[in-house]
Amino acid sequence: MVAVVARELSPVLIGIVVIVRSGSAMATELGIMKIGGRVHVLEAQGISPFIYLVMPRVLAAAVSTFCLTIIFILVAFVSGYLFGATVGTGSRDLPLFADTVSRAVRPKDVLAILSKSILPGLYASASCCIGGLSVGGSLTEVPQATQRALVRSVAGLFVISTVVSFLTYL
Amino acid sequence: MMNESTDILRFHDVTIAPDSDRESGISSLNLSLSPGDLTVVLWEKEQVRIPLADAAEGLVSPLRGTVSFLGEDWQKMAANRVAAQRGKIGRVFEGESWLSDLDVDQNITLAQRHHTRRAVKEIEVEATHLCRVFGLPGLPRGRPSNVRWQDLQKAACVRAFLGALILILLENPTVGIYTDVIAPLINTVREACERGAAVLWTTNELQVWNNPELSATARWRVLGSPTCVMEEAREAT
Repeated sequence: MVAVVARELSPVLIGIVVIVRSGSAMATELGIMKIGGRVHVLEAQGISPFIYLVMPRVLAAAVSTFCLTIIFILVAFVSGYLFGATVGTGSRDLPLFADTVSRAVRPKDVLAILSKSILPGLYASASCCIGGLSVGGSLTEVPQATQRALVRSVAGLFVISTVVSFLTYL
Repeated sequence: MMNESTDILRFHDVTIAPDSDRESGISSLNLSLSPGDLTVVLWEKEQVRIPLADAAEGLVSPLRGTVSFLGEDWQKMAANRVAAQRGKIGRVFEGESWLSDLDVDQNITLAQRHHTRRAVKEIEVEATHLCRVFGLPGLPRGRPSNVRWQDLQKAACVRAFLGALILILLENPTVGIYTDVIAPLINTVREACERGAAVLWTTNELQVWNNPELSATARWRVLGSPTCVMEEAREAT
């Protein structure tokens, strides 16, 4: 159960949260910037939109996805412990609980959590930024581009998660 | 006209297709700017925007011909070279040109902070001086949406002249603020030309075109639409 929550469930759930909350915002914001001519202004000043707009968002998304995943795992375990202790179905011995959890998580799992949180974060944010920057000249293209970017990102999340699981555990 | 190798900007038989409802094309344009040149281009008010400044910066690809900056064809430059060369160009943009997630002062100094190793303080001192030249009390702070439209127009002039730029592109810089900025703008253009920069000033205001203080080395008129022909006017000084 510990392994399932830590290495499978948490990266996927957090990935979806980040894609829906931040990926859509990135795609929409960059799409509106493109249509409003702000990207053109950057290019005209010799500032690469990739370095100025895409890179910071991609790096921030990867770091925040990883941090959120860690927070999710900690909150899941702590709330599990508290619930078990309150209802009386689990041990009230906190050191024993922590020891059980740490024994259940192997070094391989840490690597899997790292990969499954950072790689989809990188892919999804890059996909959403590129989706936003790919709009043409009409505002009506923004929701379409956002929708496409989100679908790509969610699909990418599941593919990356599956591939990492295969590579790590098979 | 100076030798081709000393030209800052050169359009050689350039034809650009009209790309949307908003932009005209250009047909067979031959134009060059050498250090110290001021070229003024007048187009009729009714005409849609011409992509002259975009072409001068290599932002649009010509159908035919070449646009060269400091002797290099924009289309043949590597991406990092293009970015570096654009850092030597100042521009007043036609229309909205402010990044809404940066303050106005950050917008003004952005290109200098990106392309040069100058200290931010030094850039801000120069920007503040230019702000006072253009009638602003100081470097405008706050988001662009909170700054008066007229002050943004003046701030756009500040941004265009900030730093040791080689080419300055002015797209209708006096719209709405003619009486406030024409004198300082002409003076600043003159100073830029004297230190060796070239200035390409496009306008649809006849009062700019007819201003006797504006000592242009060449004057062009834009004729026709949607694909324009540019014709050198005879009254060039």
